[in-house]
Amino acid sequence: MPLYVEKKPDVLITEDGVRTDGRLPHEIRPIRMTVGILDKADGSAFIEWGGNRILAAVFGPREVHPKHLALPDKALIRTRYNMAPFSTPERKRPGPDRRSVELSKVIREAIKPAIFVENYPGSVIDIFVEVLRSDAGTRVAGVNAASLALANAGIAMRGLVAACAVGRVENFIICDPNHDEDMWGDADMPMAMLMESEKITLLQTDGPMTDEQFKEALEMGRRCIRFLYEMQKEALKRPYLIVERSVFEQGEV
Amino acid sequence: MLLVKNREVVVPGQALAKGKFKPGKDVYIDNSGVLRAKKLGLADIKDNTISVVPLSGIYIPKEGDIVIGIVSKISGSTIIVDIRSPYQGAIPIPRGRTVERVDMSKYDLHLGDVILAKVKTFDGSSSLLLTIDMEGLGKLEEGFILEVEPAKVPRIIGKRQSMLSILREKTKSEIIVGNNGRIWVKSPSLKELLALKKALRKIETESHVSGLSDRISSFLSEELSD
Repeated sequence: MPLYVEKKPDVLITEDGVRTDGRLPHEIRPIRMTVGILDKADGSAFIEWGGNRILAAVFGPREVHPKHLALPDKALIRTRYNMAPFSTPERKRPGPDRRSVELSKVIREAIKPAIFVENYPGSVIDIFVEVLRSDAGTRVAGVNAASLALANAGIAMRGLVAACAVGRVENFIICDPNHDEDMWGDADMPMAMLMESEKITLLQTDGPMTDEQFKEALEMGRRCIRFLYEMQKEALKRPYLIVERSVFEQGEV
Repeated sequence: MLLVKNREVVVPGQALAKGKFKPGKDVYIDNSGVLRAKKLGLADIKDNTISVVPLSGIYIPKEGDIVIGIVSKISGSTIIVDIRSPYQGAIPIPRGRTVERVDMSKYDLHLGDVILAKVKTFDGSSSLLLTIDMEGLGKLEEGFILEVEPAKVPRIIGKRQSMLSILREKTKSEIIVGNNGRIWVKSPSLKELLALKKALRKIETESHVSGLSDRISSFLSEELSD
């Protein structure tokens, strides 16, 4: 018998579209993004999104070990998505499992089109996504953090990659599903976009949707992702603006 | 049409300009003809050319660069040198008739030795050849090695070496800056060395704010006053 039994809420969404955490269908949970928080990594980012706490670290471009993995004409991209044992309500057995191997692949493929891999032949760029606390939507939060960490590392990119999940609960298309909606909702659709061209680099669906619902969900996802992109830009520029302000303030005294 | 101001902080993918502008360093043109930034950095507009001055990033070798390396391996006829980059430098040890022409004592190197070298050829991926067969190059004795972000090296040197001469003058030190972000310093005492180290940190964090040279100059005067 598990010690922790989750219960489905009686009502996932009211007739007026109020969700279990009080949000309306189009509302996103609170988000905070911070870059450059790890000293030893070439680039890093931390994202707090609802109950999620995710750390992304980028190393490289650096020498490939083992050497035979190196590609002669472009950089190799390696990604590791990992959940801390304490990140879930019940202890997660440490180490890679089926799910984290899949998410590593999904995040890598969402991010890779953004990188000018041909600029760094024969090298490797390692991306680590560490989930410290999970609360639905960790893969999209991981994509956002990884993209920030890459930009923070000074790697040549076509643009940033922003991501958000959308879903369906009964007849409502909802933005950024929370834990309850992820567990008991009818459909879930994480998506990511390369922001410079707004091309979709990640689209998964779990659960049935009609054509109309799918189109509505896609449109809502696009809107959310544009919002996240604005936050990413702000997060990347923030450290430089803070230094600039403090220099000017010192000058006035 | 210009979409950013000069010296504005830009993020990768940000549209910089449309139309008659030319892409400079770290700028690319997308499918619709818009000039976009490749890296996080400062927009740099000169005449019709827009480039991005990156604020971070590792060192990618360029032919003619002067680098400070550490000998990491010696195997038969080549000396392998770590230069803080994805690619390791190689210095072939002269053999045959060339031995008469070069100063062979320069090649008497051991693991861990710090050397000043020049990038001779680099094919962009695997083969990176360095040379120490020139006046002033070779093993660096005494002194200290400080490390800075390679992206900040141009600011540490400054326009026409302006920043470097401020650092040299104020700290009365011998300073050699490698393009790979390693800096060799020989100071008269520890006090100057520590002041220099602080000044380098200050250059790194404040490189994007204008008036840097004046701030560093007064900072060093203050640090070394008594």
